[in-house]
Amino acid sequence: MIKFEQVGKKYPSGQEALSELSFELDAGEMAFIAGHSGAGKSTLLRMVALMDRPTRGQITVNGQNLAKTKARHVPRVRRGVGMVFQDHRLLMDRSVFDNVALPLEIAGCARGEIGRRVRAALDKVGLLAREAAAPVTLSTGEQQRVGIARAIVGKPPVLIADEPTGNLDPMLSAEIMKLFAEFEQVGTTVLVASHDLNLIKRMGKRVLVLDHGKLIDDFRPAAAAASNNAVARSARDDYPPSPASATNGEGQQVGAGQDAAVPPLSPGQGDA
Amino acid sequence: MNRRVATIRVKLEKSAAPAPAPRAPAHKRRRMGAWREHHARSFRASLRRLAGRPGATALTLLVMSLALCLPFLLWLLLDNARALGGHLDDARGIGVFLKPEIDAATARSFADKLRRRTDVAVVAIKTPEEGLAEFRSQSGFADALKVLQSNPLPTVLIVTPKIAAASARATPALVDELAHDKHVDQVQYDALWRQRLDAILAFTARVAGVLAMLLGLAALLVVGNTVRNDIVGRAEEISVMQLLGADRAFVRRPFLYTGLWYGALAGLVALLLIAGVEIALAAPLDQLTSSYGGRFTIHGLSWVQAIALFGTSVMLGWLGAWIATSRQLRLGRPQ
Repeated sequence: MIKFEQVGKKYPSGQEALSELSFELDAGEMAFIAGHSGAGKSTLLRMVALMDRPTRGQITVNGQNLAKTKARHVPRVRRGVGMVFQDHRLLMDRSVFDNVALPLEIAGCARGEIGRRVRAALDKVGLLAREAAAPVTLSTGEQQRVGIARAIVGKPPVLIADEPTGNLDPMLSAEIMKLFAEFEQVGTTVLVASHDLNLIKRMGKRVLVLDHGKLIDDFRPAAAAASNNAVARSARDDYPPSPASATNGEGQQVGAGQDAAVPPLSPGQGDA
Repeated sequence: MNRRVATIRVKLEKSAAPAPAPRAPAHKRRRMGAWREHHARSFRASLRRLAGRPGATALTLLVMSLALCLPFLLWLLLDNARALGGHLDDARGIGVFLKPEIDAATARSFADKLRRRTDVAVVAIKTPEEGLAEFRSQSGFADALKVLQSNPLPTVLIVTPKIAAASARATPALVDELAHDKHVDQVQYDALWRQRLDAILAFTARVAGVLAMLLGLAALLVVGNTVRNDIVGRAEEISVMQLLGADRAFVRRPFLYTGLWYGALAGLVALLLIAGVEIALAAPLDQLTSSYGGRFTIHGLSWVQAIALFGTSVMLGWLGAWIATSRQLRLGRPQ
């Protein structure tokens, strides 16, 4: 569903944001991107949403080769990717309902259908009663939930979130992350960037660890269930990971990951 | 291989789009409905936005409408001047005032002599009686003329030269000859004046045209700049919409309607301004034309002209918004 092959991104200033980045996420898989600020988490997500283009390598999202996507097809690709931002980016001059309805309006849904789906999405994030409210009257956690409703209302196959809990307290953060995990269960591919290692650990999902633009760890709880706690602890204690443990982790995890993560892409996969 | 799969899928999608699946028409109809709805929403929302800041909107409208009505007023003035000039059409003839002592018979023989010339097309004789009658009917001096004991007017010959006077820059040689004839008291030749008037009118028309273009450009820039400010103020909204997958047309639509509203409202204000100018000038103009015995009338903006003004305004508003949004969409990438 999301596939990076030897992706590199070098800014005109010469700064290398990502290098040699390869990983693959299956349809309906959820993963976290961890790493300190500046590690390239945002850059990675920006490239999934075609806000940035890689300078090297190939990215395939939703069956579409992003390098080959012409400017006029970018909107169509973006409609297949739900986006949640750290500062939610709601439009403050519109009601909660209108904010959530925006992606459907853009996609050209009929009014009746918009109403039904917006209410379903708001129900899912527990804000059905606040549909007429102005976003400013909501708490930060509620605003973020509206942001999530907006991201998922169009039922995109891919959902990405950049530090969705960055402005929230730990309790709210856990709540929001659980919400993301629910979307994974309905078959959405979810990719969440976060620096909150404690939270990531508790979620028990796959974790891609970035450091200085390189993938230094691809941790899968299922593959390493036994050493789950140990790795998570080491990741936390050693954060940012020392070169020694990084090499260790990379050799162990990426190797294991490649077997499972590169099945031949079937034609139907893009529609899943 | 993945690339190939991807391209196949893209091809499939491409070929699937125009091929009508059984429920495609209904789907298409739904999309059309949504599209129309977005138009209607943009139409209303942009008007609400303009109404939301009445001060700024009024200023923009005033600047735009002034820029629009000035060339139209100038053009109107010109049109009237041209209509006035039309009364001088017969000025091409040479007025030959014979000496007072020439009697009717001599005048006729002199006219016959002139008619035989190759460079003369027509010679008309106006006897003193005819001249007095005409003067009485046209000048409004009928009462004053009653006081006169005798007719002071001489016989006048109206000689139309054969050469195309319009093309003749110089005074025809005929005029010179006539002036020196022993029967002739005075020669009046108006064609030169007529040419000069034509040149002045043509020049003013060109000035009006150039002015109209410059002021039209100003109106375009006023709208463009206003919409650009609007876009800058709504950069976040545009960014979010683009990230949610809105295409250029979707993002552009509300701004185009804003431009359309500016154009339409400015057109109406310009028409009101012109009407105001007409009303303000009506009374003194009436006096002026009545002093000429009502031989010509001043006309205002016709319906066709009013519609043309309105249409131009709407088009300029739309175009200004289009230019501003295109520029902004080309420069700005969603952040």
